[in-house]
Amino acid sequence: MKNRSFRFSLAAALPLVLAAALPSGKAVAEDLKHYDSSKPSFWAHPPADWFLGDETEAQKGLAPPSGPATPTPLDELQADLKRIKLPPGFKIEVYASNIPQARQMAWGANGTLFVGSFLATNVYAVTDQGGQRTVKTIIKGLNMPTGVAFRDGALYVIDIDKLLRYDNAEANLDKMPAPVVAYDDMPPYTSHGWKYLVTDKNGWMYIPFGPPFNIGIPPTSVSQIRRVDPKTGLAEIVALGVRNSVGGDIDPRSGDYWFTENARDWMSDDTPSDKLNHITRLGEHFGYPYCHEGDIPDPKFAMGHKCSEFTPPVVKLGAHVAPLGMKFYTGNQFPKQYKDNIFIAEHGSWNRHKYQGGRIERVVVDPDGKNPHQEVFASGWITGERDYFGRPVDILQAPDGSLLVSDDWAGAIYRISYKK
Amino acid sequence: MTIRMVTLAAILSLPAVSCLAAADIAAGQEKAKPCLVCHGENGVSSMPGIPSLAGQQDQFLQWQLIFFRTGRRPNPMMAPLIADITDQDIRDLGAYFHSLPYTTATSDESPNPELAEKGKLIVQQHHCAACHKDDFRGERAAAAIADQRQDYLVKALTDYRSAARPSTGVAAMSEAASGLTDDDIVAVSHYLATLPPVKK
Repeated sequence: MKNRSFRFSLAAALPLVLAAALPSGKAVAEDLKHYDSSKPSFWAHPPADWFLGDETEAQKGLAPPSGPATPTPLDELQADLKRIKLPPGFKIEVYASNIPQARQMAWGANGTLFVGSFLATNVYAVTDQGGQRTVKTIIKGLNMPTGVAFRDGALYVIDIDKLLRYDNAEANLDKMPAPVVAYDDMPPYTSHGWKYLVTDKNGWMYIPFGPPFNIGIPPTSVSQIRRVDPKTGLAEIVALGVRNSVGGDIDPRSGDYWFTENARDWMSDDTPSDKLNHITRLGEHFGYPYCHEGDIPDPKFAMGHKCSEFTPPVVKLGAHVAPLGMKFYTGNQFPKQYKDNIFIAEHGSWNRHKYQGGRIERVVVDPDGKNPHQEVFASGWITGERDYFGRPVDILQAPDGSLLVSDDWAGAIYRISYKK
Repeated sequence: MTIRMVTLAAILSLPAVSCLAAADIAAGQEKAKPCLVCHGENGVSSMPGIPSLAGQQDQFLQWQLIFFRTGRRPNPMMAPLIADITDQDIRDLGAYFHSLPYTTATSDESPNPELAEKGKLIVQQHHCAACHKDDFRGERAAAAIADQRQDYLVKALTDYRSAARPSTGVAAMSEAASGLTDDDIVAVSHYLATLPPVKK
């Protein structure tokens, strides 16, 4: 572990060393984009070129689409859902609507569904009384509170650079208590700074730290996944070389952490593939920025590294499909063969000429990562070449074994259920 | 002023026809009346620091109203006016202002070719056209910025730079503006505010 971080810092320093040692060093330094994160100003104003700096002329105009400003009204949603294709016996319906930019979901112990958001700055609580669901905005004004988790009566929310804890949350939905900062060793930038929270059986939380740009030598404190104990603030690095990860889950069979990862942009419409990864030992390196999808050395940033040095993905999910939230299925409602399968919410493309993703993928795989098989489970959110009526973000299993799917484009949560 | 604001607020908070999902331009026109006091007849502003809205991108307008309503874009003039507007009002207002003819006559500035040239270079370096398109009239949530008032563009970029207002398109504007100096902002704004009319 120590050895590995040392090599990692060395790699980060490499452009500087070259710049000092070689007569042509200046040209090398300009060629290799590199960032000096040693000053606070870097974190206050991260590089301006993180996603708009690398596109080719043919890719110009492929800008991030913003969804509708207001949530899609219920009747429109219900009409839209008729386009969703599912395997026989499965059905999708609106579970709750009018939830602006719904992101990660988490169950409270007493059945409250907590939902994070993105620019909407809100955290919502969905409560159910006899099938009648109420959506309440319980927290306002947070910075990209995409990640939520629930543990020991407390709601945990990521406020970009702080892990906040709201004690006794379910009893205080009308007036949430002032939050306690559980962990804040995080950079303040928003680019790839939004996060996802996964709690293991001991209450430690897996938290991704994305780099503040598309591709570059990452500052050494990011491009990694940490595991944080919110009780003590202790943290350890569990994975290195990770680009933008906004989803993961613990395998109920092994206790291992699996996670989705969004690959770099602007290489082409069809490469590199986004990934499903599996951590088998502490501090494993997943390749970014040197190697993509396990077998494509970065044209600029490989810097002599070979793909064989890094852990390849278990599954290549496809280019620009944008895998986000994922869950292992542990319920009994779906047919037997779905047990322990992984369901992945794919947010879909923003800078591919023809969008793909925008669907829910099913992955069947052994606990050790062997014999992976993937197939489309639910699709139809993409309308035309480059538009959506909705974008799946997260998946959560309901107590009855159905799956909930959040959608930050339509501002809604769907329920997918099975009946013979 | 205060009394007028209260009246305006009262007008705006009239119950909307919220059972209709689709945006209604005619309803938007009615609801927009108080807006025109500052944003100008036909949505063309002649007030310093106040943007023209005529022909602006519908989705951009809606997002700004959402930001004003949630307080994410704090503005003492806007806040009382839109505190109670519904999602339907927001859709109607976006559709109405978008339906008004785009104007190229909003700038009071006399053209300074040297400054415009400097601004053009910065605009190219920052890939502004990637979202705002080659004619700078925007698309979806990316605003139309061509021929907008220069004083307003300066204000907008300054606010993005300091994160006083949020960015749509993930964090595109916060990123783009973060490295600009005050002089850069003036140059960019001057370039955009004095763009020649687009031949359609």
